[in-house]
Amino acid sequence: MIVAVWERLDGPVTFRLPLRGVAILAGLSAGIVAVMAVSLMSGSFPLDLRGVLASLFSEAPSDTAETVVWEFRFPRTLAAFMTGALFALSGAILQNVTRNPLADPSLVGVSQGAGFAVVAIIIAFPDVNIAWRPVFAFAGALAVAALIQWIAMQRTGGATMRFILTGIGVAAFISAGTNALLTYGDIDRALAALGWLAGSIHAAGWGDVRSLVVCLVVMIPALIWASRPMGALRFGPEVATGFGVAVRRDRLVLITLSVALAAFAVAAVGPLGFIGLVAPHIARRLARTGVGLHLALSAATGALMVGFADLLGRTLFAPVQIPAGLVTAVIGVPVFVALILRSQARSQL
Amino acid sequence: MTTAPASAPSPAFTLARGGGAVIALGTLALAFAWHIAVGAKTIPLGAVFTALFRYDPQVFDHVVIRDLRLPRAIFGVLVGAALSTAGALMQGVTRNPLAEPGLLGLLSGASFAVVMAVGVFDLAAPAWLPLIAAVGALGAASVVWLIAISAPGGATPLTLILSGAAVTAFLAALISIANLIDEDSFESLRVWLTGTLAGRPVEVMLWTLPWLAAGLILSLTVARQVTALAMGDETATGLGVDVTRLKTLVLIAVVALTASAVSIAGPMGFVGLVVPHVVRLIAGYDYRVIVPLSAILGATFLLLADIAARLVLAPVEVSTGIVTALLGAPFFVWLIRARL
Amino acid sequence: MQTEYETADAPQVPGGHPARLSARGITLGYGAEPIICDLSLDIPTAELTAIVGPNGCGKSTLLKAFARVLPVSGGGVIELDGRPVHETPTREVAKKLALLPQGPIAPEGLTVRELVSQGRFPYQSLVRQWSREDARAVTEAMAAANVTDLADRRVSELSGGQRQRCWIAMVLAQETDLLLLDEPTTFLDLKVQVELMTLLRDVAHDQGRTLVVVMHELNVAAAFADSLVMMRDGSITAQGPVDHVFTAENLDQVFGLDAAVLNDPESGRPVCVPRVSLRPDIAAQ
Repeated sequence: MIVAVWERLDGPVTFRLPLRGVAILAGLSAGIVAVMAVSLMSGSFPLDLRGVLASLFSEAPSDTAETVVWEFRFPRTLAAFMTGALFALSGAILQNVTRNPLADPSLVGVSQGAGFAVVAIIIAFPDVNIAWRPVFAFAGALAVAALIQWIAMQRTGGATMRFILTGIGVAAFISAGTNALLTYGDIDRALAALGWLAGSIHAAGWGDVRSLVVCLVVMIPALIWASRPMGALRFGPEVATGFGVAVRRDRLVLITLSVALAAFAVAAVGPLGFIGLVAPHIARRLARTGVGLHLALSAATGALMVGFADLLGRTLFAPVQIPAGLVTAVIGVPVFVALILRSQARSQL
Repeated sequence: MTTAPASAPSPAFTLARGGGAVIALGTLALAFAWHIAVGAKTIPLGAVFTALFRYDPQVFDHVVIRDLRLPRAIFGVLVGAALSTAGALMQGVTRNPLAEPGLLGLLSGASFAVVMAVGVFDLAAPAWLPLIAAVGALGAASVVWLIAISAPGGATPLTLILSGAAVTAFLAALISIANLIDEDSFESLRVWLTGTLAGRPVEVMLWTLPWLAAGLILSLTVARQVTALAMGDETATGLGVDVTRLKTLVLIAVVALTASAVSIAGPMGFVGLVVPHVVRLIAGYDYRVIVPLSAILGATFLLLADIAARLVLAPVEVSTGIVTALLGAPFFVWLIRARL
Repeated sequence: MQTEYETADAPQVPGGHPARLSARGITLGYGAEPIICDLSLDIPTAELTAIVGPNGCGKSTLLKAFARVLPVSGGGVIELDGRPVHETPTREVAKKLALLPQGPIAPEGLTVRELVSQGRFPYQSLVRQWSREDARAVTEAMAAANVTDLADRRVSELSGGQRQRCWIAMVLAQETDLLLLDEPTTFLDLKVQVELMTLLRDVAHDQGRTLVVVMHELNVAAAFADSLVMMRDGSITAQGPVDHVFTAENLDQVFGLDAAVLNDPESGRPVCVPRVSLRPDIAAQ
């Protein structure tokens, strides 16, 4: 097995990257651009590629084209890609820290916690500015993550399957709480919250895109930092300690980072299920790489998946729009089942 | 666990059983009366009893009780008994403390089948409902079971719960999609899908009664053998139990019970998880006691949950399924900590 | 309950090197019943030291404390080159002291070379990810552990003994003077145990590194270790060169094992043979 690599062994900056991984990252990026193009073209007001390019970069062929592309399709598609990347990164970090291939923000209740916080705000304090949503989502998600970690930690270490089962229970509890809030609240606000909860991207506008961009810009340095401790934590806390990683501190930071990534994505488009679970695994299947490149590949895979799910959701049964969250669930569950069938579940319980 | 010959119980034991049965039934009767008394207008317990035993069609409260509250209370008893019995049998046969119709995907399978039948094929006749629900429950149970036994390590509590969660998530997404594509057909089902005792026609209940009765009788019949199975398949076989036949019978009973519960009240989670555990704490490990007691206490539990659903956020009424989830999910988390 | 061999003229090192790793009066675990109570130990430098004792005696706990995986919760200090190891920057420690925990699990799909490369972790940073120096250390470590032929195989498809050699190669690639190994030979065939211990002994003797190995198999420990530490109930019962410590009295005291200690005529190493109580009628024949 010969692996082609791109390496630089001398000097202050050294690295060694498998060429296959780099090539696949390029391929995924091309895929993202392609989905972006198709996404901008399709809808109830069809445009050809030239029309899209003209609307984006020069004079739009018509005012309708200008509005459709700039006000609806472009921000929505951007939001889809960015939330996909955020969910994928969140899942990749969570799987690494818990050493659990099934860890996913939407499976263990982190997304539900964010969702509950946002619904509570929509219902109870409808006057609160939408810009605060990410903050509340983060607080709700963090509270749930702390709760699960606390419950799962009670007996001999938390990095086991008990974490997942506990998360499923907590997620069920919070979903029930959210449902109760919806029944209690004013019907119009409840409907607004309900649409948001289904994980829909159609409402995303430039405001969401802006906060997602800010979030990504803030997170990228943290992610670059994260790749190193994650590389050691793959081998478990003891080996990582032997490597000179401050295990307790770094795990705490990484879990917070993962929760923040999921929370910001949830705040923008609602809880999209299974992306955090599936994208890191697909990325690993595409190319075996170190942690840093794997994070990049996961983000690109997640972006592509959500972009594609959104495209499918709004074209498959047009004019009815299927929220992307439902499409990702239908695609994600079979992968989830495949993971259950492969994982050494018993040894990890 | 007692392994004493079942044919000769000691007199004290039967006496304790008899007393326990009286207490359980008494509690159920009280919960039943309280359930009827609670509502938009609280009716005194005395009036409840007069309405039940000396009905006067001229009195408005009596009409309310007869036409609205009594059916709802009966729904509660039937659904609670069905789900708890199903949960008890599942826990006994799979030797899995986390087994329950909801967690193992049977509820969502049944709901999915009903939603498809009503919404897509327009099969709204109440006579068909239990059968459709049973087919759905059986299908979902089979898929969950197949995934779990094919996983490395076999059908452990963990793999069963995970595959149950997977199937539930998948079906829930499909239900939502169907919902969106054809909003009008599903309008009537939306509340039902959260698990509620309100507003179901009595006709549905009549059609589910044969299923429910069959399921309960079958459960009581196999209870003795389920006790033996708790010691393991091999041991049970050694004691003369036909394990394959027993498991098939239990599956039939569980599917019939789940189907009747879903037909009446929609998917109501965690009822079948909580009650059998409480029963085992009280009554030990003999399924001849556990099965009937689960039915009685399950009915009581659901009545109380429904009372809470109507009282906690009054005048707004929460779906009963939300209440059972709010009560059951922490219990589930506690079970994971205590038993795994 | 310490024997007269201990602290005769500590640290007892043939070459007369001072001990680099030592515990001074450490107590581990909380509450009324600590796992380890007021324990002091100097690790002989450039030797293979085996820690043995019955299950639950605290030997793995002690090793984890040495490796700073566990905090010294009840007082005392562990020193590496005269500095408290728990207060030294952890990355600095990682360049002097490597740990192989019990039953480590490799991420799915990793190849042997990738696993061994991980040992270079303390020397790398975000900009300095893979240097020529790293490549050299990995090649040497794989050669020393005799896993060069397996380099491109996946770790998950190897046998237990091969896999353990890969992990040892990984800690060798860390190029530390001190190596702590927690039960590296448990659950392996006797032949594989002997291969691994030969490898570890050669590392200690040929490269002058200091190894501390927690293990179960008494005779294997006696055959390969330079010095032995016997533990029971959280304290050290006997400690010193194998010939002095591996005695029938100590085995009885530590393990409650009724055994005769003989000397292997070839190597001169002590061997314990449990006394078998024969049925009188067979014994009479």
